[in-house]
Amino acid sequence: MRSDPQPPRTGAAAEWHEVTVQYPFAKRPAVGPVSLGVRRGERVLLLGPSGSGKSTLLLTLTGLVPNSIPATVSGDIRLFGAVVGTRQPWAWAAQVAQYFQDADQTLCGMRVEDEIAFALENRALPPMRIAERVTEAMDRVGVPESWRSRPSSALSGGERQLVALAATLVQDASLFVADEPTAHLAPLAADRLHALLTECGPDRSVLVVDHRLEGLIQQIDRMIVLGRDGGIIAEGHPRTVFRAKHDLLVSEGIWRPAASALDARLEEAGIAPQVAPLSVEEALAHVDPATAPREHVEKALPAVEAFVAECTVRSVQTAPDAPVLARLVKAACAPFLGPTVLRSIDLAIREGEILGVLGANGAGKSTLGLCLSGLLPLKAGRRTGAPGGYAFQRPENQFTAGTVRDEILDTLPKQMAAKAKAERVAGTLAAWGLSGLEHRHPFELSQGQKRRLALATLTTSDRWPLLVLDEPTAGLDAHGVSMLMSAILALHGRGYAVAVITHDMDFALRLCPRSIIVGEGGILADGPTQDLMRNTALLQRAGLAEPSCVKALQWLQRAASC
Amino acid sequence: MAATGRIMLKALNPLSKLLVCAVWLAASVLVFDERFQMALIVLTGSALIVLNRTSPLLLLALMVPFGLFGFAFLTTSLLFRQDSDFAMRMASEALLTSPAVSAGLTLFLRAVACGMISVFFALTTDPGSLVRALMVHGRLPPRIGYSLFAAMLLVPDLAAEAQQMRIARAMKTGRRLRRVPGPGELMSLVVPLLAFAIRRAGRTAIALEARGLSPDGPRTVLHAPGFTRSDAVFIITAIVAITLCGAATVSDIDVPLSLPQVAHDEPV
Amino acid sequence: MSGTRGWTLRETLIVTVLGAVFAVLYLGWVQVWLIAQAVFGPVTMDVVMGFWFIASIVAAAIIRKPGVAFAAEVLTAAVQILLGSPAGLLLLVTGAVQGAGAEVVFAATRWRNYSLPVLMAAGVGAAVFSFIYTWIRFDYGALQPGILIAMFILRCLSGALLGGWLGHIIVEALYRTGALTGLAIDHEKRSATA
Repeated sequence: MRSDPQPPRTGAAAEWHEVTVQYPFAKRPAVGPVSLGVRRGERVLLLGPSGSGKSTLLLTLTGLVPNSIPATVSGDIRLFGAVVGTRQPWAWAAQVAQYFQDADQTLCGMRVEDEIAFALENRALPPMRIAERVTEAMDRVGVPESWRSRPSSALSGGERQLVALAATLVQDASLFVADEPTAHLAPLAADRLHALLTECGPDRSVLVVDHRLEGLIQQIDRMIVLGRDGGIIAEGHPRTVFRAKHDLLVSEGIWRPAASALDARLEEAGIAPQVAPLSVEEALAHVDPATAPREHVEKALPAVEAFVAECTVRSVQTAPDAPVLARLVKAACAPFLGPTVLRSIDLAIREGEILGVLGANGAGKSTLGLCLSGLLPLKAGRRTGAPGGYAFQRPENQFTAGTVRDEILDTLPKQMAAKAKAERVAGTLAAWGLSGLEHRHPFELSQGQKRRLALATLTTSDRWPLLVLDEPTAGLDAHGVSMLMSAILALHGRGYAVAVITHDMDFALRLCPRSIIVGEGGILADGPTQDLMRNTALLQRAGLAEPSCVKALQWLQRAASC
Repeated sequence: MAATGRIMLKALNPLSKLLVCAVWLAASVLVFDERFQMALIVLTGSALIVLNRTSPLLLLALMVPFGLFGFAFLTTSLLFRQDSDFAMRMASEALLTSPAVSAGLTLFLRAVACGMISVFFALTTDPGSLVRALMVHGRLPPRIGYSLFAAMLLVPDLAAEAQQMRIARAMKTGRRLRRVPGPGELMSLVVPLLAFAIRRAGRTAIALEARGLSPDGPRTVLHAPGFTRSDAVFIITAIVAITLCGAATVSDIDVPLSLPQVAHDEPV
Repeated sequence: MSGTRGWTLRETLIVTVLGAVFAVLYLGWVQVWLIAQAVFGPVTMDVVMGFWFIASIVAAAIIRKPGVAFAAEVLTAAVQILLGSPAGLLLLVTGAVQGAGAEVVFAATRWRNYSLPVLMAAGVGAAVFSFIYTWIRFDYGALQPGILIAMFILRCLSGALLGGWLGHIIVEALYRTGALTGLAIDHEKRSATA
């Protein structure tokens, strides 16, 4: 499918014509053939599932593929009219700024002002000019002056992201490209990125590549959706695409904003909004109980109720008298060899429970998870209960063996006979969709496969009745997330207790009947997830975003009270 | 800076310090005389204590590994020198002035002197300035310079990664996490940490190029140290000092031997 | 890409980063050495020395281009200087010498052969150069020939085993993790099996 054939009004910022990329020794091309373009002054989102080759396509933009990363590239790629291959990748830095997901890869180990100045140093600008532009970029992004002489190794994760953003913006390039920016973005950096996207001009184009984009989708002018095979399956303004191609996106497992699911239901009920909505607020604006006619509200009621029911947890509530599996009493938690971050923690998790652990970045969720599973010694207080298994945020940290098979074998008890072990391993691999990968090194698997392997190693034997999963949805696309959810529900069915640490509110609301919110050095709240989500003051205090369906819940309340 | 007329060692250009240290190290290796080595130690140590306000205790602590290193050569020399006959010398009265001990002592002092000079460089040089000075004046390719910076950022992150990996291993084996890792644990961490580092390196290379790092071509380097008059004074003083010491050693000027003569009783 | 003599930025970073990791490991190995020396005496330095050659061998086996072995040792020393190690400046010289020794062996095979025997020979080469350097620095000429021969042989063995053989194991294990795709080692291994 070809890109929109309208003649460009102000010229194209970036264009790909029938581009195919194939890595050496690979059997199929990683991407393509693909034709798409970004016009000057436009803000484009490239959406697609994991493995569709979006990142590869992005790397071809300035010639990083094939110059720095060897691959065969066929097709025509142009930047501002010039063929990309005429210049080396670094020569394009003045026109194209790239913001990568991992701030650690952008930063070198220098002081903050040196980091920001780096791109300008490369262009041989005079020192006075560099100093001016560095101050300008710091203001624009909101990097405090006090950080100037701090070494970047002393910054926290969220602070590093902010500095990386400043270091990219200082290039003042006409085309700003962001690769999966929202994955682990701290709220502050996300806000700045949001602000960046809202300023537009004929000379500033933005290309964002991601597989989900909650919160920034309103700023996008045009959206291009790649399918699993790397070809374009939909294209156009987000509102149009999400409404018209709703079913196609669902079948391909591609993320849609929550509002489009609500929109589909409202359409079925015959009360769809005129303009396709991108947020739940917009979707319900036309049936506001205060202003709209009563029969419209009545029509919309079942649709909204169905929407809310779908968004919230469907699993069976834990019986309140189920035995407690693990408990922390007056615990003080500290990361290994670090200062205490949480005090006076009283937490109990029961058999068969799915508990959500929510909190802002840096609140100490991971530390709490490690203490709950018994892997981290407590500074004070005590922990009672069964040992817990922990699935790390980065699955590579989990793997200790050289092959997938050995990973699973290591967890089986030594007394088992070799034959029984082999059968168990084969059964586990089949159950988790990992057959055929026995002899691969765990690091070589895709993100989704790694997470499944991590879960498989934790559940093959019965050593750990309690599981703590740290950010299990990071790096997964919509399809991967739904598979993960069914896996967790299956574990719940087998009697495991699962604690899920996540910053994804929608995921927590769908999966966990009960949640705790971690913040300010302790547990701020502990209760049914629905109630916590409705408490906007609490969410703000904890530094959390609202889940998408909160507005719908509030609408229901207002509709009932009218 | 030079307001009081003293040379602040930290403010000197790292390259001049590099030059001086290289010359002094070469001198230490080439001249085989214990008084010469002693002079080097004293001069360098006093420079550090007086001009750089280094604490003498810190200096002593830093010298311990070099002392241990040098001690090995002292014992080797005592035990295995060609013209040695250890048992006979034990009985001799002039033990401490025998050639074996003298040579061993020189080697010991040489190890400490080289260590002292190396510590001098380490304590008075800021790594970032050194790399920048090399890029500007030493024609170090900027790719290598910024790679060094990136590698320096990696090291603390390696520690964090290693912690996570250790927790995972503790979980698998069921043993508690110890504060200090044992040797077996460390061995199993080497390859995953290397893999982590190499993947990071690949992604950092892409990001550096995306920000415009080119292999050649003009560039500005901010905060690069320049050469001042203090540098010239420092270099000249250092070279003069070492030449004087060298001349004093090889000439016939009689410097009284500092080692006392001790009489030994017959071993029982 | 295979066939270009110059280093890509990725390769430069990999060599430097290997230097950083090995710099940390070397620091640990020094503790092992000092403790062993207190127990075992003078020749322990030669027994443990092979480990300090491993950075050049691992880097050369991965990148397979001229100058990698030498640069890896020098950069490892440079990182140690940057991290503030008190012995940094001395290590720069020893690193250069050891790296040169390994490089000579790889040059002799025209930078084409990285099998286990060649890696062990590179370890021996580094040991030889290192021995010459310590000879000058610590006046080995005055020692008994017996002990000299013992030290030399121990150092060469250590270089071959702790440098070459251990390096080979590490590189093979590293290759299996898939972190080395796109580098010279990957190309050569895949072409060999294709």
